[in-house]
Amino acid sequence: MELFVLFGTFTVLLFIGTPVAFCLGVSSFATIIYLGLPPVVVFQRLNSGISVFALMAIPFFIYAGELMVRGDIARRLVALAGAGVGHLRGGLGQVNITASVLFGGISGSAAADASAIGGLMVPQMEKRGYDKDYAVNITVVSSIIALMLPPSHNLIIYSISAGGRISIADLFTAGILPGLILALSLMVVAWWVAKQRGYDTEPFPGWRAVGNLFLSATPGLILVGIIFGGVRSGVFTASESSCIAVVYAILITIFVYRSLPYAEFVAATMSAVRTASMVLLVIGSAAAFGWLLAYLRVPAQLVEIMKGVSENPIIILLMLNLILLFLGTFMDMSPLIVITTPIFLPVATAYGVDPVHFGIILILNLGIGLCTPPVGAVLFVGCAVGKLPVATAIRTIWPFYGAAVATLMLVTYIPALSLWLPSLFH
Amino acid sequence: EITLRSSDTHPEGYPTVAAVEHMGELLQERSDGRICVEVFASAQLGEEKDTIEQTQLGVIDLNRVSLGPFNNIIEETKVFSLPYIFRSTDHMHDVVDSDIGQDILDEFQNHNLVGLAYFDGGSRSFYNSQKPIKSIEDVEGLKFRVMQSDVFVDMVDALGGNATPMPYGEVYSSIQTGVIDGAENNWPSYESSGHYEVAGYYTLDQHLIVPEVLVMSKSSWDNLSEDDQALVQQAARDSMPVMRELWAEREAASEAQVLAAGVEVIRDIDKTPFIEAMVPVYERHVTSDKLKDLVTRIQAVE
Amino acid sequence: MLVFVRRLSSVMRLLSHAALWIAAVGLVLMTAFIAWQVWGRFVLNDTPTWTETSSVLLMGFFILMGAAVGIREGNHLSFDVVLYLVGPKTKAVMHSLSDLIVITFAIGMIIYGVTLASNAWNTTIPNLGVTGATAFVALVLGGILMTLFSIERLLRRFVGLHTARFGETDMGKD
Ligand code: NA
Ligand code: NA
Repeated sequence: MELFVLFGTFTVLLFIGTPVAFCLGVSSFATIIYLGLPPVVVFQRLNSGISVFALMAIPFFIYAGELMVRGDIARRLVALAGAGVGHLRGGLGQVNITASVLFGGISGSAAADASAIGGLMVPQMEKRGYDKDYAVNITVVSSIIALMLPPSHNLIIYSISAGGRISIADLFTAGILPGLILALSLMVVAWWVAKQRGYDTEPFPGWRAVGNLFLSATPGLILVGIIFGGVRSGVFTASESSCIAVVYAILITIFVYRSLPYAEFVAATMSAVRTASMVLLVIGSAAAFGWLLAYLRVPAQLVEIMKGVSENPIIILLMLNLILLFLGTFMDMSPLIVITTPIFLPVATAYGVDPVHFGIILILNLGIGLCTPPVGAVLFVGCAVGKLPVATAIRTIWPFYGAAVATLMLVTYIPALSLWLPSLFH
Repeated sequence: EITLRSSDTHPEGYPTVAAVEHMGELLQERSDGRICVEVFASAQLGEEKDTIEQTQLGVIDLNRVSLGPFNNIIEETKVFSLPYIFRSTDHMHDVVDSDIGQDILDEFQNHNLVGLAYFDGGSRSFYNSQKPIKSIEDVEGLKFRVMQSDVFVDMVDALGGNATPMPYGEVYSSIQTGVIDGAENNWPSYESSGHYEVAGYYTLDQHLIVPEVLVMSKSSWDNLSEDDQALVQQAARDSMPVMRELWAEREAASEAQVLAAGVEVIRDIDKTPFIEAMVPVYERHVTSDKLKDLVTRIQAVE
Repeated sequence: MLVFVRRLSSVMRLLSHAALWIAAVGLVLMTAFIAWQVWGRFVLNDTPTWTETSSVLLMGFFILMGAAVGIREGNHLSFDVVLYLVGPKTKAVMHSLSDLIVITFAIGMIIYGVTLASNAWNTTIPNLGVTGATAFVALVLGGILMTLFSIERLLRRFVGLHTARFGETDMGKD
């Protein structure tokens, strides 16, 4: 009955369009009252939920991303990618994907990637005779790469939702290979579709040009080294290295590139505040919701139910993937991470799945959800920058979804793809 | 049918968790199955500071917590967190078993809590990656990670070291990369954190021997009949010897594992200079008459 | 009534601007504090002990201020599939219900925030030396702002003015 109050209230509020943070908070509130416990515990959990040092990395990475998008770093990365892979078949499509790899290394946000890379690439691709749907499809699906490559604030949200006991350095390292595999499989599909449609390639600009563009993009690339190297070596905590990313982005864009005027700096700060506070409030209310899940022993009960369904981890992982893919089509990523981690992670670990491995599965899976209708933030952003109706975009997006789901299956059933790289550091 | 929900930040199988589960078995037996205890391990209901508040509010019934988080709530508990206040684990056991221990448990009454029993939290000593610490001079200039607390920061500084507060999870790699030289903890944590792999010198100076407490929510306590209260109190007391045994076993197992890995353990150091160095720390933190009196009483216990 | 709501809206706009600026300054200060912590550890060889605790406090502040502004601007994450399926009347009712739900929770933030603060009044936050009640100030302030902004939304909808919806970022003209 308590579970009915909790999930029932949550679903009803969700359907009438109440912000997710309040769906979580008010359904917890209602359940606590139903149980006859003091309601103050909901607000205590909310307040503790947003008072976690490790959480600080999230606003910092969002802030750093804002500064870099507005401060010319993204454009330089696209130019570098263009010189490097433009001469392959489906030239600018390959450039789009490669740019997402480079940008993904400094940003953890798929939506930022779609708007920054898409905003630069889609008009360019259109001008060179590519169909708009091709440009938008690639922009949308390749932006999942940003979630997989370090830094990824979504992996930090996962680590915190799991009780802060999973190493962020390991999660960051674990995402690298799956991110690159996703990039590679998207490049193959981009090549295949380009061949079908007879798209041109770009001329190779010569090594000197590549070298110059590389130099011009270097300050952005150095950031990858600072963030990843800092967290991996343990010289900085994730919160500290994300803060350094902000300071570094300010120094580069204001003093080296001189590309960020004061007004843009203020706009970047305001935008980071808006996005981060929205995400973090969800995390806070989910702390109350998660507390109730633990109190009502939901994960333990779910493990029992799943055990009754199958003892086979392959089947259980497939079920979890299908549930997550389904939820991902309806809801945004960060609330889903905070809601599903406390429920599904105990199930996965009960079947011997490593928590780091499960984190990568979760992020890739929910990342795909960002690109699918009816609710797909990245799909919407991609279609908005491409000025293309969503219905038109998804008519031809299937091969790209196929590549992403194939990658998800590989990542799910070959744990070494996630776990081998981190194991080298132990 | 009464279910007492109990919180613990340690995982399933840890001595404190096992001890509270044992207490639950005793209760169930002695109450003919009327009262049972359900332990939520691994900080499922929150970190200690939060679960203390929840216990005060009556949301959870029992809570096994360190004394550290109480230092800012109940002044008297500070005395157990003073460096070198106990000469040995036996001294600590004698003190908490005496009326001093009971006096401090009684203080919890004023904060919507009932102090039921003391558990062991081990003795904390310094380890580092640089050199064996055999005297206080060896501490000079070494960077040690300490818990977020003024007393511990002052303690390391008074010994001539350099205190660096940082989250526990960052310590391993920070020692490995030389950001800090070492940290301090008890045998089980030294082993389970893997810190012995990167900091191979362990000096048993036992600067902190802080007991832990099992507390009950005042409102849950008041809901029990007087007979049941006595049952709970007795079961909690009876879990203490079991806890001490489990803790000793756990300590011995960790010690054996760490020694097998080739760690150099410095056992017999002269603690007198370390204790003398604490005079300014005590002057700064033992300010009230209440605390001064408690310190004198503890030191007087043979 | 219309005149009153418009006047109220202009006051709320000022309040929301102020909250956004406070949040933005909070984010910049947080950056400065943590940068100082790193600098202290590596360069000065003396790690400041106050930075971590105080930036966590600042973070709570900027989250709750920013989230309150998010209520007014309607940019919180929500599930709006059902909203596309219903007529404009039902939609308005659902929006108003949402606003009432936000108000309920926000009032909870105020009342229980005060309870938590008074419970923590006699405790101190380690390394800062201030009262533990400080940790709940943002919760109460955030609750007050969210309540005010939600009432504004209800009133605006009642007199037929535009309200920004969750999922849309356009606040519209007054
Ligand atoms: Na990334
Ligand atoms: Na979606």
